[in-house]
Amino acid sequence: MIVLLMFLALVAMVCINVPIAVALCLSAVLAIVIDDGFSSLVTIALDMYNGARSFSLIAIPMFVLAGAIMNATGITRRLISFVSAVIGFVRGGLAMVNVAVSLFFAEISGSAVADVAAMGSIIIPEMKKRGYSAPFSAAITSSSASLAIIIPPSIPMILYAVAAGTSIEQLFIAGIVPGLIGAAGLMSVAYYYAAKYNLPTEDAFNLKQLRKTFIEALPTFTLPVIILGGIFGGYVTATEGAGVAVVAAILVGAWYREIDWKQLKLAMLEGGIQTAVVMLLVAASVLMGSYLTQARIPQQLASGILDITTNQALIFLILNVFFLVIGLFLHSAAAIILVVPIIVPLINQAGIDPVHFGLVVTLNLAIGQQTPPVASVLITACSIAKANIWEVSKANLPFIGVLLFVLMLCTYVPAIPMYLVETFYR
Amino acid sequence: MRQASKILGEILTWVVISLMIGLTVIVVAAVVWRKLGASLTWYDEVAGIMLAWITYYGASLAALKRSHIGFDDVLLALPHSSRKVAVVIAEILVISFFAILAWSGIQVLLILQGENLVSLPWVPIALTQSIIPIGAILFIIAELLSLPDYWRSVMAGRSTEHQPMAHGETPEKGDRS
Repeated sequence: MIVLLMFLALVAMVCINVPIAVALCLSAVLAIVIDDGFSSLVTIALDMYNGARSFSLIAIPMFVLAGAIMNATGITRRLISFVSAVIGFVRGGLAMVNVAVSLFFAEISGSAVADVAAMGSIIIPEMKKRGYSAPFSAAITSSSASLAIIIPPSIPMILYAVAAGTSIEQLFIAGIVPGLIGAAGLMSVAYYYAAKYNLPTEDAFNLKQLRKTFIEALPTFTLPVIILGGIFGGYVTATEGAGVAVVAAILVGAWYREIDWKQLKLAMLEGGIQTAVVMLLVAASVLMGSYLTQARIPQQLASGILDITTNQALIFLILNVFFLVIGLFLHSAAAIILVVPIIVPLINQAGIDPVHFGLVVTLNLAIGQQTPPVASVLITACSIAKANIWEVSKANLPFIGVLLFVLMLCTYVPAIPMYLVETFYR
Repeated sequence: MRQASKILGEILTWVVISLMIGLTVIVVAAVVWRKLGASLTWYDEVAGIMLAWITYYGASLAALKRSHIGFDDVLLALPHSSRKVAVVIAEILVISFFAILAWSGIQVLLILQGENLVSLPWVPIALTQSIIPIGAILFIIAELLSLPDYWRSVMAGRSTEHQPMAHGETPEKGDRS
């Protein structure tokens, strides 16, 4: 009864635009007051404080910062030149470059919105100049940036791992193969449209140009080596790897002698605010979670669903549909923080691997970033391309189709995400 | 009011940036020290505290800029008169929560008086936890300072949630679609 009341209060508050984090806290406060009276509210400060200092989550500001510094240095531009020299000669060359650069960018920054903002602001105007339609340019930039959140490092993965109490490193490695399959899919669809509408190729393949841009971009390639090599090689934890990434990004920027200090300041500020917004949600979910756990809600939900079915495939289907629907209305961070702690007992009791499920959730919410009304990544791409959100969504349908296909593949063929995890960690 | 909000924004900006720099330095130093074979014993605890400080100082700054994650499509679809009521209720709710949090934070500080951190015994826990009442009060101030601008944009039907061009604007002329 109280839980129903909490839920209704939460929905009502979210509808009048109370920030989701605050709405969560207020629902928890409501439940605590009904259960134990006003005096028990004394402890909320402790939950709100302890919730905000989770050690593993320190990786979030670090990865946000690393990506931001990359934008403040000439890294993005050099990457685009190099990738253009590699595959620009293919029909629809800039669309291919777009996907490939996203993949690479994803290995350094952890946030899809950061990727789309950094890369889109360079590549979308270029695509429009070369005759690609604005909606198509925005759509492919947006989809490839979202695919990037399943490629390590990834902030939603860090949040999931902390919420579900599983390993960040294993989740990171699980994303690599699905990420590559998705990128191949996006490129194929882009090629189909390029051939159909006779989109332009870039400069012909030229070994000299390739060598020149490769040498220029070389210091940039040290970043993923340091970050991923360090983490997967077991030299540093994910959090430490994130810290090292920040220093590496600064060093590469210094090497290029191209750090824009004003932009760097802005980047740090944006990183701090983004972190705070996510962390306030985390703290709120700790407050809410401690009440729900005490009321044994996650356990009841688990036994309720397991009474209906114990079929893993069916449970996956139910949860996938559920996450796709909430992805329409919630940001990925909010969706993970809200839902994952509640369904963890269900996952465990159904015998589903939490790492496998984490990848499925992250991929699912990557699709959520593409589906309006709440679609952070798509909307950022639209505003850069100055394109109408519904037209972009229409152009984006085939790309969303690719992401859905990868989601189904990863859900029902666990070996695709889990093979590398099994090989390296188990 | 504009002036006050600008000054608060500037102060919080520098607090957040300093904390971000500090956190980076600590994380990197900890890696270096560990590789040299001498782990920094206070690293986990201090880094966690800094994250909590970034959370609440940053959250106030986000409140000032109205950039907390929310959902305003329903609110903006309401008729004008009920939209006014809804905004007033939402603001009262937000401010009440942080008032309760500030009160709770002060009670906790009183209880924790005289206790110190485990890894750095000269640092009182009350100092590290002071962020809760301070952060809560700053949040309330930021919420009030940013209210006039928020009020105007909600009444004009502009979304603070989505970026410009989000709703129904036309693409540039000459673009193919």
